[in-house]
Amino acid sequence: MAMRVDSIETGALEQARPRRLQLLRQLARKKIAIVALVWIVIFYGAGFFAPLVAPHDPNRQELSVEARLQSPSGEHLLGTDRLGRDILSRVIYAARTTMLFTLIVTLSGSLFVGLGLGLLAGYRGGWVDAAIMRVGEVLAGIPGLLIILAISAAFRPRINDAAFWLKDNSFLGDDARPIVFFLVIVAATILFSWVGSARIVRSQVLAIREQEYVLAAEALGASTWRLLLRHVLPGVLPIFLVGLSGGMAGIAGTEMALSWLGLGVDPSTPSFGSLLFEARGVRTFQEFPHLLLGAGIPVVLFFFAWNLLGDALVDLAEPRTRGR
Amino acid sequence: MGLGLAGYLVRRLLWAVPVLIAVSMLVFLALRFTPGDPVDTLLGNRYDEELAAQLRARYGYDQPIPVQYVKYVQNLLQGDLGVSTKHVDFSVAEVILPKIRVSAAMGIMAVVVGFGLGIPIGVFAARRRGSFLDPLTIGSWLLLDSIPVFVVVPWAMWLFALTLGWVNLSYGGVFHPNIILPVLLISLPGVAGVARIMRASIIQVMGEDYLRTARAKGLREWTVVTRHLMRNALLPMITVIGLALPGIFAGALFTELLFGIPGVGREYLEALLARDYDVVLALVLFGSALFVFANIAVDMAYGFIDPRVRVGAARETG
Repeated sequence: MAMRVDSIETGALEQARPRRLQLLRQLARKKIAIVALVWIVIFYGAGFFAPLVAPHDPNRQELSVEARLQSPSGEHLLGTDRLGRDILSRVIYAARTTMLFTLIVTLSGSLFVGLGLGLLAGYRGGWVDAAIMRVGEVLAGIPGLLIILAISAAFRPRINDAAFWLKDNSFLGDDARPIVFFLVIVAATILFSWVGSARIVRSQVLAIREQEYVLAAEALGASTWRLLLRHVLPGVLPIFLVGLSGGMAGIAGTEMALSWLGLGVDPSTPSFGSLLFEARGVRTFQEFPHLLLGAGIPVVLFFFAWNLLGDALVDLAEPRTRGR
Repeated sequence: MGLGLAGYLVRRLLWAVPVLIAVSMLVFLALRFTPGDPVDTLLGNRYDEELAAQLRARYGYDQPIPVQYVKYVQNLLQGDLGVSTKHVDFSVAEVILPKIRVSAAMGIMAVVVGFGLGIPIGVFAARRRGSFLDPLTIGSWLLLDSIPVFVVVPWAMWLFALTLGWVNLSYGGVFHPNIILPVLLISLPGVAGVARIMRASIIQVMGEDYLRTARAKGLREWTVVTRHLMRNALLPMITVIGLALPGIFAGALFTELLFGIPGVGREYLEALLARDYDVVLALVLFGSALFVFANIAVDMAYGFIDPRVRVGAARETG
């Protein structure tokens, strides 16, 4: 029995594997998508290895008149800000914040919650499906950023209390405050980020569960979770990834918007939002353009890369609109 | 038409009620369950126990939270949105209506610009498909879409106001020429979105059989394009227009802050920070209601315009 289930499993995987590889191979043929992918890898790599890559401590201040607001030089490649901090190092650490935020939100929100609920809704059907989809409809039907802002602003005093308590009573110490602030905006964003992927996954599951190999595995008595993970999931994955890449810029943008407004990450955590907030004045830009350009250009390229990649993937997934 | 569409409309409208209740409860609880209330903000350094207690009793904040919520909903159903604590002695309606007027005017202008530019660009890209002009048009608009407002605004202000001297940055009302720059900046990302969808839509329609038929039976190219191609290709635009309006409404927050425009986005943020409960709730409910009703309006519009998706059509014909 077990052997037979195994052989059916490999059959399903064999069917799924070429599809995934095909998508990758087609993607490799699009030069623009490769360039975009390279920039995303550099961005995330810089964020991941921030302590190794950053030339200075992003929070070390130098308040002497010569040290503040320096233009780019050999010592400070992107210059320094109002407090004499090295902007390149702050940008690299901000990339780390963006990396952590997008990864945690997509892994927990889109992948774990969205994929999980989508699989469940599509496979189980009935009241489970109805309940999940209704909740999703409520969340998709309201302006997310307004609610995330309200949650973040309303909970801020309470977060401070919690952070002080954690600082004294846990191993986190001084890191407690930034971590708690970070987790609150992660949680608020996840609340809205799972709906899109859950919908995509559900509609795919509805189509796939009618396939013969799923029926065969079901008939052989494979458990629900085994069925979902080994048979349905591989078929859902390509479309799911297309949807995911389209949402990445939006998720990263949410963190930047919140931090720009002072309702995002802790002020001690470098973020593109706070970097750009410090550079917002028109007179500031006139006198010290490196403040805005140093932080702004990497961000614009980051969004542009995700948009190009998402566009290329959609083109591959929907060949009807592809150029002939 | 008939009962099918009406019944569908009633169902959708009824569904909007639990959505709005859920949103109002979520925000109400988030505001009430956290320390610090409007009275703290109002009194600030002059905080005085006795005065604070008086004020709390006046606004009803001394009552248990469920009682406050029920009272709020009761007042809301009678058209009373409550009072503002930040703008002392002003009702919420008096505070938010002028802001809504400003944001609505700007939103409508931005939608007009967005579609006025986006549709021709999308058509252009679709007609030049296969040549280098197609990826170039779409690519350059994708780039514009990638520039966050808080990056482009200081740069644009510097270029157009300080360097070229074409515009003035002070806010002079919604119909003052100074509004041109912020409106353009709000609408540019929308142009990219509209152009992409328009391009995809045109390419899809160009592959349809009825278009080949129209050409084959010898219709003039102009008739084919206006009657058959554009009519069908513009259908998805209903969704985009319907959903763009409330989106622009909420998304103009940063532009309003940077240009000092007194719109809903700025009022919302200030009310949040001042814990002006009733103003926050009124704006959240207003924004959510716009979203919900825009969705319904889009679906209904499809029913009227495109007979293929008419709800209840099967019952009529069959």
